[in-house]
Amino acid sequence: MKNQWTNLYTGFVEVKASGKGTERLINELIRQGVSVWDIRRTAPGILIFCMDVKEISNLRKAVRKNECKVTFIKGSGGPFFLKRLIKNSGFVIGFLAFLITIFVLSNMVWGIEVHEASPDTEHAIRKELDKMGIKKGKLQFLLLDVDEIQRRLGDKIDVLTWVGVDLKGTTYHFRVVEKETPEEVKTYSPQHLVAKKKAVIKKMLVEKGKPIVSINDYVTKGQLLVSGLIGKEDQPQLVPAIGEVFGETWYKATVEVPLKTNFSVFNGDESTKHYISIGDLSIPIWGFKNPDYPAYETETTSRPFLFLQWKLPISYKTETLRSKEDLIREYTKSEAMKEAKKMAKVSLEKELPEDGEIIGEKVLHLGIDNGKVKLSIHYQVIENIAIGKPIIQGD
Amino acid sequence: MAQKWGQRFRRLLVKTMDLPQDVMMDLPRITMIGQLHIYIENHRGLLNFTDTEVRLLLKNGQLLVKGRSFVIKTILPEEIMLEGKIDQVSYINE
Repeated sequence: MKNQWTNLYTGFVEVKASGKGTERLINELIRQGVSVWDIRRTAPGILIFCMDVKEISNLRKAVRKNECKVTFIKGSGGPFFLKRLIKNSGFVIGFLAFLITIFVLSNMVWGIEVHEASPDTEHAIRKELDKMGIKKGKLQFLLLDVDEIQRRLGDKIDVLTWVGVDLKGTTYHFRVVEKETPEEVKTYSPQHLVAKKKAVIKKMLVEKGKPIVSINDYVTKGQLLVSGLIGKEDQPQLVPAIGEVFGETWYKATVEVPLKTNFSVFNGDESTKHYISIGDLSIPIWGFKNPDYPAYETETTSRPFLFLQWKLPISYKTETLRSKEDLIREYTKSEAMKEAKKMAKVSLEKELPEDGEIIGEKVLHLGIDNGKVKLSIHYQVIENIAIGKPIIQGD
Repeated sequence: MAQKWGQRFRRLLVKTMDLPQDVMMDLPRITMIGQLHIYIENHRGLLNFTDTEVRLLLKNGQLLVKGRSFVIKTILPEEIMLEGKIDQVSYINE
């Protein structure tokens, strides 16, 4: 038997046949291969049945041969449904307009909230956001992405230690940690000052406590520098020893600098392509030209469209091609040595505390190996070597 | 005479080769599901159809189905599916 669900798509009609030869009409139809179903007799001489729309010409032929009259009651299925839709197209248009409105509204920015910020900072953040184009009523996928906003805010506003940017639905939330401006006054418990590493004492500034060592003394790690016990020997008094003890310390650094280095640099040429992507398929909507960069790097960002709180499988994709150039840098031996010294100094300065100062350097070893200059340097540094060590009472 | 010979030959074939009789001899095959459905294959056309009675032409004679509220669910040149409440099925041989 034939499966009949396809009739729903192709469309079918309900036919009323009246007259004498209705059975013969049915026989004639089925002999011609017309599928007929749901045949019922409602009254003597009246037959109602369903048949395919496409077979109506066959029905006409069959009717002519038989003595009966045929009227159509109604049509159902695909084409008739469409016809009715077009007739009531107001509903369809309204429904589509509703969907489009919701879709557009779901992709807009509806709120910017700044949490835990002082009014000044909040104002600064809002001004910066305005500059970046983040305002109420903008379309989200045309704006910068969250990480980029976070980075820019951190760069532009100095008082921020950290800013967390979070996009929840249609609202941007900014959570702010401000730098704490007033410094805390430290309270000390009784303590000694001891050496943090081996050094030769160069300068001592003692606020409180009894200095034990003197200038030009050699001290080792953990050695007592300033004592927190003052007063008479038989009646010692505990105080927190405070002060700075500068000593000369030594560092050794080894650096390697290759004589020949390959670099890739961006030369600033870039072009952006815009796509709408559905699943794996990307449809270009702007920027069709392929720039003729000899070498380039591609950066892709993809922002999904939203519908209410759901992410659609459709997204707005931008692809930025940045032109890249290869550079070869070559050093002569003396240049390489200079570069190595500079590098070593920079990395040492990073390591040193703020009050550290390099007072001298001496190249210990210089060698060229495998196209690399290898340099060992000895540095003399003046830095504060005093750290507090609490005096534990009751010992 | 020739038709009779044909009939005989077919009957022989059915007997010896164990073939289904409805296929070989153009007999109707009737399947009923309770009183709800009746499914008839190998008919030769609709003779009369009302909501209480259906008469079908067969190769030899006619088939009469009686019941109530009949609806022909599907009809094809050799098959018919009838729905309703079936009370009786009978053969009419002239």
